[in-house]
Amino acid sequence: MRKLLVLFLLAVIAFSLYKPLSTIEFGADRMGSIENPTTVGAYYLSKTPSELSVANVITAIVVNYRGFDTLGEVSVLFLAATGLGSILYRRRKEGEHSISISKPSSQLLQAGSKLIYPAILVLGAYVFIHGHLTPGGGFQGGAIIATGILLMMMSYKDFHLNHTVLTWIESLAGITFATIGIAGLIVGKTFLENFMPIGTLNDLFSGGIIPIIYIAVGFKVAAELAGVLDTLLSIKEK
Amino acid sequence: MVVSPVHFIAVPLLAAFLMPILAKVNKNLLRIVPGIVLTYLGYVSVVLMNRVATEGTIIEVLAGWSAPWGINLVYTPFTGFLATLMIAMSFLIWLYSFKFKKVDDEPALKYFILQLMLTTGSVGLVLTGDIFNFFVFMEIIALSSYALTAFYRDRNGAEAAFKYLLIGAFASTLFLLAIVLLYSQVGTLNMAEISVRMHDVPTSMKVSILVLFLVGIGIEAEMFPLNGWAPDAYSQAPSPVGVAFAALVVKAGVYGLVRITYTLFGIEGSGIGPFLIIMGGITLVMAEITALKQTSLKRMLAYSSIGQMGFVLIAFGIGTHEAVFGAIFLMFNHAIIKGLLFMSGSYLVYNTPNKEIKYLSGYGMKMPVISLFFSLGALAIVGLPPFAGFWSKLYILLAAADGALYGLIALILVVSIIEIVYYFRVVGRLYFGKPAEGSIMRKPTVGGMIAMSILAIAILVVGFYPDIITGYIDAAASSILNTDEYIKNALGAVNELTPVENIIQ
Repeated sequence: MRKLLVLFLLAVIAFSLYKPLSTIEFGADRMGSIENPTTVGAYYLSKTPSELSVANVITAIVVNYRGFDTLGEVSVLFLAATGLGSILYRRRKEGEHSISISKPSSQLLQAGSKLIYPAILVLGAYVFIHGHLTPGGGFQGGAIIATGILLMMMSYKDFHLNHTVLTWIESLAGITFATIGIAGLIVGKTFLENFMPIGTLNDLFSGGIIPIIYIAVGFKVAAELAGVLDTLLSIKEK
Repeated sequence: MVVSPVHFIAVPLLAAFLMPILAKVNKNLLRIVPGIVLTYLGYVSVVLMNRVATEGTIIEVLAGWSAPWGINLVYTPFTGFLATLMIAMSFLIWLYSFKFKKVDDEPALKYFILQLMLTTGSVGLVLTGDIFNFFVFMEIIALSSYALTAFYRDRNGAEAAFKYLLIGAFASTLFLLAIVLLYSQVGTLNMAEISVRMHDVPTSMKVSILVLFLVGIGIEAEMFPLNGWAPDAYSQAPSPVGVAFAALVVKAGVYGLVRITYTLFGIEGSGIGPFLIIMGGITLVMAEITALKQTSLKRMLAYSSIGQMGFVLIAFGIGTHEAVFGAIFLMFNHAIIKGLLFMSGSYLVYNTPNKEIKYLSGYGMKMPVISLFFSLGALAIVGLPPFAGFWSKLYILLAAADGALYGLIALILVVSIIEIVYYFRVVGRLYFGKPAEGSIMRKPTVGGMIAMSILAIAILVVGFYPDIITGYIDAAASSILNTDEYIKNALGAVNELTPVENIIQ
């Protein structure tokens, strides 16, 4: 009886969600004219190349137009890492050190990961440094770097990260983001406003503060995800 | 640098990022820094409250893009009042928990960061004028609350936090879905502009969006039947966190509910008002009856808190100026009174098994000051004159009488009697119960005593001279009721997307 009731309720919810969603035409152009923008999206497309000189419009939206949201999202990630740290915290006893709980790995994996690890780090750095030019950015680049670290943790049982260094990277990157925002408030009158020369479109050094913020985000995301992995995957042992 | 609303978010965020480094320099800094930040934000609040009273709504544009292309912060008398209240309560919570985890610095660091971020999230949610930004701040509140609920890392705390996490994550998803649907219809995320374009949205779509929003935000606002997380979270979290839930998280949730129903959808003639009255009524009755059955003090306080929020919803549902005035007054009273009750109640049950009420016999003699604070809070929250709680209840009853809602008045009075019974049961046990042998008393910290004294004085002062606060509340009530004014201010005169003549209809 109870299961039937649940099924019935789920059906009601599914129907009431399907009905409004079905009225949205699939694949229809909802953006409108880019020359005379009437929606926010069209406005972004028309203004970004000339006013911010950023080739990747998504990055311009994420870091500049809605940069305040990104600052919030960075804090959410920071909170997740902090919260996890507080819940899984255990005081280290005398002579204890942390080791990975993963199973012993094969020689193949060990040799392979040694080869591929630097390449992953470089790819991650490339993705966040070129965030304003090509698809990707700070969050994606940081996540790529963290996968490299995860690979090393799985291959080598004694691979472990220095938490002091991680804390410093994390904090300095966060401080950079917030400080750039406050600098915008002082120099350019509003929080997170661009106050640097925007350069020419498609150059590596273009887009004003956008690349700097994305590099800081990349470092922060990488350090936080690596810290989370290290907290989750290691135990303390004598 | 001139003070502006963005300081409420930028400064604590910068401090939260700095704190891990500062803690390595000197471990006392992690306790002191939040206090400095909150003091500064208190100063900002005072300056901005004065400015908003003389010059009207303050709009702050972010990243140099005016609304609706960028995000803006809207500091109206209503949002300003709530932000000020939240900052003041956070400061008192900081005082109360200054010596928290004195022996262990690593958890203390995490605690202070999470608590500071909880404040940032709540204040940011109240100030933002953008619906997606609203969602981001909701996430900040939610994540810090989950971690703080599980802070003691015991079995019950983990269960409470997990329950909260499941319900909260589900609610966030629905809220995000509502934003997606809304954006597909109106093509903008700015709340003022959504409000302008809302009448073009078909009704079936509007209903779906509204339901998704209500479920998403109803969790934080402790609306029935979405409040299952609250009693567990309140009773298992560290006691300062319980205060923060009552004073910050729930207030932010109720604010969100009001902003979405009043500004985005419009309360008049839409059926939302009666709906809020019904939901508030059910929440009130269910919570107060359940509170009557509780044997654990903290759970009783948690259910009482839910009941009060039901009361606030009823008042917002009535929707007249007087009712909204009463509702905001009640939000203020609930923050200070429930804050005092949680702070003093936590000391009372500090060493009793399962925090049960039956072990509190005769504590009035053993812990005279704390018991006095608790009794004062109990008298105030049930609405006895001359304490602060009396005025808000009176205004809501008067508003209900104006609307000829006599059934509602009867309901509120009956529920008040239930409230009196379960609060006075505890107070009676404190003073007239036979003292038990050998119970260990917990000596309150100096910071805790100062925080509780300030709250007790506030309850008495507002009770005897409500005039010192009614001016602000009156302005706040006018501000939330006047949607046209909000739209005009938030969008400003320069707006290419929506011609100004369309805004004021």
